[in-house]
Amino acid sequence: MINPFQEFKGRTSRRREIPLDQILRSKEETLSRILRGYENLLKNEAKDLVWLMQYSTVIKAYTIAEEGIKGIEYTAEDIEEFCYALDKTDQIPYLITGPAGVYISALCNHAKEEEIVLRLQDLNVKINLLGYRLPEGKRLVVEGNVGDFTGIGLDGGELVIEGSAKNYTGAGMKRGKIVVKNNIGFNTGHGMTGGEIVVGGRIKGLGKIVGGKIYEREHLIFPSEEMKPFFF
Amino acid sequence: MKVDLKPMEKILQKVWPRAREKHLYPQLPTPQLVEGGEEVALDIKSKKLQISASFLENIKVMMDPEEAVEAVLDHGIAHYMYCPWDFHTHLTLYSEAKKALKDKKMAQKATSYFLDVVANTYCVKERETKLPELYRRLPKEGVQGVLASLYQKIWGVDLGADEEHEEKVRRLARIPYLEKRRWRESIKKFAKVIEDLLEEELKAEQGQDRKAPNPLGEHSLDNYSLEEIDRGLRNFASTVQDLQEFKETVEDLKEELNERGYAMGGMGRGEGNPIDADLLYYMKLAENYTLPIRKLPMEKSGDLHPHSHSPWEVGKPFQDIDPWTSFGKIMPGLTQTWVRREGEVYGEMESTPDCLIIIDSSGSMTNPRERLSYAVLGAACACNAYLKNEARVAVYNFSDAFRGNKLLLEFSRQREAIYRAICRYFGGGTALDLEDVAYLLRQADHPDIFIITDMQITNLEKLIEFFSGIENRVTAVHLGHNVHTVRFREGLKKKRNISLFPVREKEDIPKIVLGKIREYWASPL
Repeated sequence: MINPFQEFKGRTSRRREIPLDQILRSKEETLSRILRGYENLLKNEAKDLVWLMQYSTVIKAYTIAEEGIKGIEYTAEDIEEFCYALDKTDQIPYLITGPAGVYISALCNHAKEEEIVLRLQDLNVKINLLGYRLPEGKRLVVEGNVGDFTGIGLDGGELVIEGSAKNYTGAGMKRGKIVVKNNIGFNTGHGMTGGEIVVGGRIKGLGKIVGGKIYEREHLIFPSEEMKPFFF
Repeated sequence: MKVDLKPMEKILQKVWPRAREKHLYPQLPTPQLVEGGEEVALDIKSKKLQISASFLENIKVMMDPEEAVEAVLDHGIAHYMYCPWDFHTHLTLYSEAKKALKDKKMAQKATSYFLDVVANTYCVKERETKLPELYRRLPKEGVQGVLASLYQKIWGVDLGADEEHEEKVRRLARIPYLEKRRWRESIKKFAKVIEDLLEEELKAEQGQDRKAPNPLGEHSLDNYSLEEIDRGLRNFASTVQDLQEFKETVEDLKEELNERGYAMGGMGRGEGNPIDADLLYYMKLAENYTLPIRKLPMEKSGDLHPHSHSPWEVGKPFQDIDPWTSFGKIMPGLTQTWVRREGEVYGEMESTPDCLIIIDSSGSMTNPRERLSYAVLGAACACNAYLKNEARVAVYNFSDAFRGNKLLLEFSRQREAIYRAICRYFGGGTALDLEDVAYLLRQADHPDIFIITDMQITNLEKLIEFFSGIENRVTAVHLGHNVHTVRFREGLKKKRNISLFPVREKEDIPKIVLGKIREYWASPL
């Protein structure tokens, strides 16, 4: 009997390695290293899946995060991939938005690029603490909405939120600039000592502000006649 | 430009078998050479690849025409073999692009470019192809320029593209184009990266009043046959997250679907029958549920016919002896007799009864035009099942019937009218006018009745009384559990022709309805 597939004999499928394969492999590798660093942070800082947002815990978490990312070669796109991985349960066993934000901040602060654009419009979770300690010379642009404590302790960098931010934005910031295109929540600028917060939409409420400037829809609302600096 | 097609046709005849073999013999008709435009090489019409001779004439001064034809064929075949593969994938990708870009035209363009990148990259990785040579010679403006830079980066070949959009290309190069399961998220990223370029392209098109040509052809509904479109919509209806997503996508493609001759109730009805996306959603979704196939009843014919042999023994009648197998001898053990059996024949076919659907569209029910209503889907499944068996369907859609919130559709086989009737939503109180039901029942011979309601009916006692007095097969599907459902159950528990189904999970309604229909058709009236 004649083999009906005779004419395919000797025909081999030609699969060649193209640079895309290498790009994707290295992307996956970087992401898995970043994820390992994050898991390590959770292991140390949120053992019982509880993380209390305190001045000391944030500092400690940031130190561990910096340790975790040491030696990883990554780009702004890798940070963005990590943000989206946080949304997926198959990649991240559990998400705690506080440590996640601290970790992303550490990644941004140590990134090679001076300007980092994170396109997070499709992200389901709102990450807290983005832009923590953003240093001078860095510009972080976030497309989408963010959570609480955005830009706290900002240290001279420029943080642009092309969306809305929640409560305690810019708390404790020293210098630099935060621009929020839409609205912002309560306790904005609480404890800030310098720098500027510029809000395109409405501010729900200001915190106890020591120094710096806050603009709401191009009007300077702090310092003003109604809002004087607060002395702790 | 008048082009002599003969030399090109020779090339096509030579290259086509080679291309087919390379792609493992796809089921595609022989491509055709058409005069066409100079800027666009390929047009795909219902799987038929049409290659523009003018384009080839232009490109032949820059590259070997055989190689150009082969590259164009590779591109066309890859669309058929890999991406989008079918209309459902195309729709899904378009829908995701639309979510990212929020604009129909931009989403269409983004989808088209994405399909090209995937198909081309597939060819370059999996097959021996001259596509890079072709792309090296194609214009590189706007999005095409960025894509050429992208190809350069991910294929590792020099296409002569500039490095103008480095950041964009870097982002685009991170997308896993050949991972099908990630296409949905991939196209969103792809679309967002090129969003500003798409905007510019659209603006330029509006200014020049002409569409920027895609050198390797546009991706539109013309690429698919009506059957493929129908199947694609059916699959799309079952995979979308909600009614709104389906509605939005179909509304966007309404004009193209109409132009293509696809209209309500299926395909090929021609223009002038506008598409109602809501109805189409329920139609396509209902088609996804399996329908029982009626078996023909078998009857004993009464005639005996020789069936098999058994050894003859002394005392058995002689007339049944088979002389041929008995070698002409009468001898116990050797002689064989016929065993006769009664024959089976197809009996007289029972006709499928007509069906009356009574559907509640009061305020407590889901509005089928806002969200997926399983009550309507259940009714749609029943319609499909009866219509497919050439029975007729009547609809009584009610809310507060005595105030005019009711819709009566007499027994009919017009699918669209029936769907329109079951999708009508009143959103008021809940009362049936039993005169109407009685009127409809008089229009057919013992129709089956399906009533889908949450039973919070004001005149429930009258309904119970009414159902007690009829002999039709009634299936009552009631949502939730309350005093009314208990009362209904108690009132009709002795009636064997009435089946009651309390539904906890709304998703079960279509299956209950179809299960009951299957049972009805398996048993006589």
